[in-house]
Amino acid sequence: MTYRCLLQMVLLLCLSTTALSRSYSLLRFQQGLSLEVCQNFLWQLPSTPQHYLEARMDFQVPEEMKQAQQFQKEDAVLVMYEMLQQIFSILTRDFSSTGWSDTIIEHLLEELYGQMNRLEPIQKEIMQKQTSTMGDTTVLHLRKYYFNLGKYLKSKEHNRCAGAVVQVQLLRNFSFLKSLTGYLRD
Amino acid sequence: MLLSQNVSAIGPLNLYPMVHISLVFGISYVVPDLSDESCTFKMRFRNFQSILSWELKNRSIVPAHYTLWYTIMSKPEDMKVVKDCINITRSFCDLTDVWVNTTDMYISQVVGYRENAVVVNCMGSFFLVSDKPLDPPKFEIVDFTNNISVNVKFQLDSPRIPSEELQFYLAFIEEHAGNSVKRHQPQITGNITENFNYVIDKLIPNTNYCISVYFEPKYPRKINRSPLKCTLFRPRRESESSEPATIGGIIILFLLTAVCVSTVMVLKRIGYICLRNDFPEALNFYKLSVWVFPELPPLEKMATVEVIHITRKKKEWNYNYDDESDIENEAAPRVNSGGYTKHGLTGRLCPASTTSASLEDCSLEDCSDPSAEEPYLPEPKRDAETRVAPGPGPWQSEGTSGGYQMRGTLWQDPTSEEDSDSTEGSEGRIVFNVNLNSVCVRALEDDKDSEVTLMSPSRPEDTAVLEDLNETESSLLVASEEGTQLPFTDPSMECLRPQDALSDKSDTSESDVDMGDGYIVRQVNLKNFN
Repeated sequence: MTYRCLLQMVLLLCLSTTALSRSYSLLRFQQGLSLEVCQNFLWQLPSTPQHYLEARMDFQVPEEMKQAQQFQKEDAVLVMYEMLQQIFSILTRDFSSTGWSDTIIEHLLEELYGQMNRLEPIQKEIMQKQTSTMGDTTVLHLRKYYFNLGKYLKSKEHNRCAGAVVQVQLLRNFSFLKSLTGYLRD
Repeated sequence: MLLSQNVSAIGPLNLYPMVHISLVFGISYVVPDLSDESCTFKMRFRNFQSILSWELKNRSIVPAHYTLWYTIMSKPEDMKVVKDCINITRSFCDLTDVWVNTTDMYISQVVGYRENAVVVNCMGSFFLVSDKPLDPPKFEIVDFTNNISVNVKFQLDSPRIPSEELQFYLAFIEEHAGNSVKRHQPQITGNITENFNYVIDKLIPNTNYCISVYFEPKYPRKINRSPLKCTLFRPRRESESSEPATIGGIIILFLLTAVCVSTVMVLKRIGYICLRNDFPEALNFYKLSVWVFPELPPLEKMATVEVIHITRKKKEWNYNYDDESDIENEAAPRVNSGGYTKHGLTGRLCPASTTSASLEDCSLEDCSDPSAEEPYLPEPKRDAETRVAPGPGPWQSEGTSGGYQMRGTLWQDPTSEEDSDSTEGSEGRIVFNVNLNSVCVRALEDDKDSEVTLMSPSRPEDTAVLEDLNETESSLLVASEEGTQLPFTDPSMECLRPQDALSDKSDTSESDVDMGDGYIVRQVNLKNFN
């Protein structure tokens, strides 16, 4: 009886590992494609950043986003999931005064929601198994960064200047997310 | 003081349909003039260089010199001047070593001066991660006999090409031949991290092919193609290289043949080998046609053979020479239903040779040598249609009870076909050869005695069916042949004794012809006896 349970657990572990390994390749492709679409939507938003040099602000972008560094796939998943959540939270704010198109915002939200759905099972499994080697520092830095963004938008009352500045930051975020998908390998 | 110019440099992502790709000069994208900016910026990435150029909309105003400034959007920093682009007369500037942070957005500003007055001031923004395409790799092309090999080399050590970026790109190879462009996508397993080789085949001879290699983003982005490398495809290399090989092969073959022939000649001269010209008949191929198509043997003359059953009453010699009524009766010719005239050959029967004692006991007609053989008859040719089985004659009795028997074989000489014509005209004359030493020939006194029984037809085309209801003896095969006749003598057979041969000669009109070897051809004319 004990041997049967042990055998079943081993089989389940192997199958789950196989499933996870296979899902990383597909996840990488899906995530990359979705992020590219998001970037295209961002570029469709009217923006002339050179006109809002005075509205620039240092949001204390994490160093991980500034320089390319090595990530394990579990860490990449966690970082990606956190960032997507934060971006989704920002875009759900009222950007009507920024002059952004509501349709584009909706498309962006749909893409972000789809990406989170794909990452959530893996993220939960990683959290349960505690297979991530990344500490909480990276996540803290990310949360502080996005907090500053939200605070900035609120202070500027979501005007065009703030929208242009946030747009640039979102472009940078998506670029970093794309680089993280490269670590989703089997 | 920098004038803030409303120069909008909208990201090129939404301008893909308007982005042109220069196959010769590399990648460049144009910022559309969506505001009243006085200039238009272009960003080119080629050979790992980032070149920013600008073009004035109002060509009537031409600045004497330009100065380029820049800043970033991530921090509220002041504009910085590009040191290599201060008071320049050219309208472009190399920013390869200036704009290194690919994740940030750069703001550029160009100020044009003329006589120390600002005549042009325009700004633009560039997000390098999205705007700057991946530099194409270096590659080499090698011409082969029927294809072109493209060896692509990556420079991953360049900081401008992060390895993780390559995953978003696909390598393409473009083939330019005249006005046609063909794109090849090498199948690379995994990411683009290693050098690879790609072969382009199915090429048109004597055509100039130009090859370009570039990385195309997996997602819609700009493409930075490498400069073209051209080569003239010459497939005649294969023929040119094969011509010497062909000539060499012919020469070698000629030399080998000469060596073999000379070796054979030398061996023949020294006598080691002997060549013959006269071949055995088996190797005579002159009549090959005969072998292939052998002549059919001549058709054999066929003749039907009928078995004639002759039943004859067994005769018993009563040793009464006076009473010859039975013999006469037997010798009477019978006409069968087929219209044939049967002639019976009668006469004294000599004792059977099987019993030599009986022959010796024959006092009256010791006409035959006990050891005499059957009458010699020329053996007919092996012609089936003229063959007559030398079986027991109808006049022979199988019994050996001591009765006398007359032996004789009836034969038809096929060689006598020609001779048979000479005997056709002889009516009533039958010629046959009988060994007189083995038979008894006796001339009959009565007409009836002249009748003999013959077992062969008088007509060549007829088949004799002899039937004698009184006969009980076995039959004799009779064969008939067309055009053959039997050289029979007159159907009277005499049992001659050697001493009576001469005396009887005067009584008959017969004539003897000595044929040698003890045979006498006796021709008996029936008319003399009738």
